[in-house]
Amino acid sequence: MGIVPSSTSATSPRWGWLLLSFARREVLDRYAGSASGLAWTLLHPLAQLAIFAFVFSRIFRIGVPAAYPGVDYVSFVAIALWPWIMFSEGIQRALGSIAANAGLVRKVAFPHRLLVFASMIGTCAVHCAGYLAVLLVLRLAGEPIRLSGLPYAFVLLVPYMLLATGLAAFLAALQTLLRDVEHVVQVLLQMLFYASPILYPASLVPASLQGVVHANPLGWFSERLREVLLRGSAPVPGDLAIAIACVAVFALGLWFFERLSPHFEDFL
Amino acid sequence: MTVAQAPADTSSARDPKAAAPLVCLRGITKDYPKVATGGDRLRTLASLLLRRGDMPHFRALDHVDLVVRRGESVGIVGENGAGKSTLLKIIASVVRPTSGEVSVLGRVGALLELGSGFHPEYTGRENIYLSSALMGLSRREARAKVDGIVEFADIGEHIDEPIKHYSSGMAVRLGFAVATALEPELLITDEVLAVGDESFQKKCIAWLEGYLAGGGTLLLCSHSMFHVKTLCQRALWIQHGAVRMEGNAFDVTREYLTYHEEKSAPARPADRFARPDLPRIESAWTERADGSAAATFAQGETFVLQGIAQHPDDLPPVLLFGIVRADGTPVYGSHSNDAGYRPVRVAPREYAFAVRFESNALLPGKYRMRVHTLDGLRLFDTFELEFVVTGETRDYGLVRMPHAWVPGRGRTG
Repeated sequence: MGIVPSSTSATSPRWGWLLLSFARREVLDRYAGSASGLAWTLLHPLAQLAIFAFVFSRIFRIGVPAAYPGVDYVSFVAIALWPWIMFSEGIQRALGSIAANAGLVRKVAFPHRLLVFASMIGTCAVHCAGYLAVLLVLRLAGEPIRLSGLPYAFVLLVPYMLLATGLAAFLAALQTLLRDVEHVVQVLLQMLFYASPILYPASLVPASLQGVVHANPLGWFSERLREVLLRGSAPVPGDLAIAIACVAVFALGLWFFERLSPHFEDFL
Repeated sequence: MTVAQAPADTSSARDPKAAAPLVCLRGITKDYPKVATGGDRLRTLASLLLRRGDMPHFRALDHVDLVVRRGESVGIVGENGAGKSTLLKIIASVVRPTSGEVSVLGRVGALLELGSGFHPEYTGRENIYLSSALMGLSRREARAKVDGIVEFADIGEHIDEPIKHYSSGMAVRLGFAVATALEPELLITDEVLAVGDESFQKKCIAWLEGYLAGGGTLLLCSHSMFHVKTLCQRALWIQHGAVRMEGNAFDVTREYLTYHEEKSAPARPADRFARPDLPRIESAWTERADGSAAATFAQGETFVLQGIAQHPDDLPPVLLFGIVRADGTPVYGSHSNDAGYRPVRVAPREYAFAVRFESNALLPGKYRMRVHTLDGLRLFDTFELEFVVTGETRDYGLVRMPHAWVPGRGRTG
């Protein structure tokens, strides 16, 4: 079976604009029709942060480890929380992107992966803005956040989000064929959230489980982002190793997606 | 609206692919998986991943071949659910066939459903940008074309309103305008002319004619045989996922219409039960003017109905012939009595008769000739035979009326 695509080849740079249009739509559609619009995308994580800060620092009394002197629990959590929100929300939005655009997938020839990418890009764009704003506000409030670490923090976000995109592509393809996936993913994401050192420092984990925490890329990224933004840590070889692993997951997820993508139309 | 396409001769000199057919389908088969239950979905997923072909499915297309060369226009006709849209989707590479080879060269513009790339919350103008992006235009190209698109769509100030407030006709106008602005080498349209109003249809047809005259290639799927005959040289008739007929657009549309006429025709009368004690038709057939038996005649050709009738009392029988179209619509009939006709006695109790139809006036199509024996009141016997009139015409109705277009005189006084 051979398909010789016309000039509508998927590698053509002309799709760049389509991807941007999709991403823009992804951002604008989020709260289309709601009065406060984009404000909700910032308020929602802030509310989550407030709840976690209250429950975990006031009630469970989880302290910030001594390695981060003078850091408030709010800053400690915020640094890892926003990337997590990009990760989980991006996956969830990408998961439904094929079905949400069924009209397009069934009638127009275009690379379907653009829908997954656009969901991730749109989600990251919105929350990166929120992340920056929160970090700046915390800095102004006197938290010892090192703004000089910001560029490298965003470099670290790239493999983090590539990992999310790879998983999202895999799950989106699966979801198109099997409608159960989204329910399973919701549960899995919740488990992953509490299993990763986002609300608590990795050092709090019992020694017998330390290996698991270190093998978890989300744990790695959360810890590294804190080190970079609160202690001005320099890049370490582990960053590169985990980045390579993330690129591998991205490539595998995309391969799986491309394998099933010609059949999407059959299932929508 | 201009149709700027690279002239075929210069491009073929540079690009050897230009000489190859734009579309070449070989043995295209498309199976859609049956995914009613979760179990079906799981099994289908497994067979897709393992590349095994044992999933529950139904066949939408069955070994379809099609070659479309540059500059050709091909109509695709068929009943609802015959597989036309699936075929177009495969050519537009929206759907991958289960087996078979697809090769499509050149820039393809597909209008598989008007308004499909449209987002209801966005204005017409915003949607022009989005659907141009979907069709593969760059932002700069789209910006250069947007005014022409707005002008062609001609929906006034609605262009800056959200699409959800549009009527279906308005969405169609916009969709067609966007597709035409792409200036595709191959334009695929699926039932899009049917939606717009009369004046927009005319505009579309005029544009398509200009596009074809400029060397464009068209694949038109339509239920309007008029559009197929007007715009297409060739036609493909798809039935139950397979090609039932391919050829000249006039022949295919005629056969297709005949098929529908026969389908809607009342059930045929039961086999005749001629009684030997009554006058009956022994046999009847049609032949050409030169006396050779035939059942297919060109439009305007002279043909002859020949027959033999039997009369138990050895008297010249009274005859009646009637011509009906395949769907049972009566065309013409006449009594031998009225003409004072007496059949020729060729043997004891056997009488030969013939009716000559000079330069027959029937329009192309399938017809049935019925020959009866009767007396003043009673029909004794009915003999039926079929014949076909071929030809290319855009005339309507059953027969061609002799006519001439002459200078008008205006209102007198």
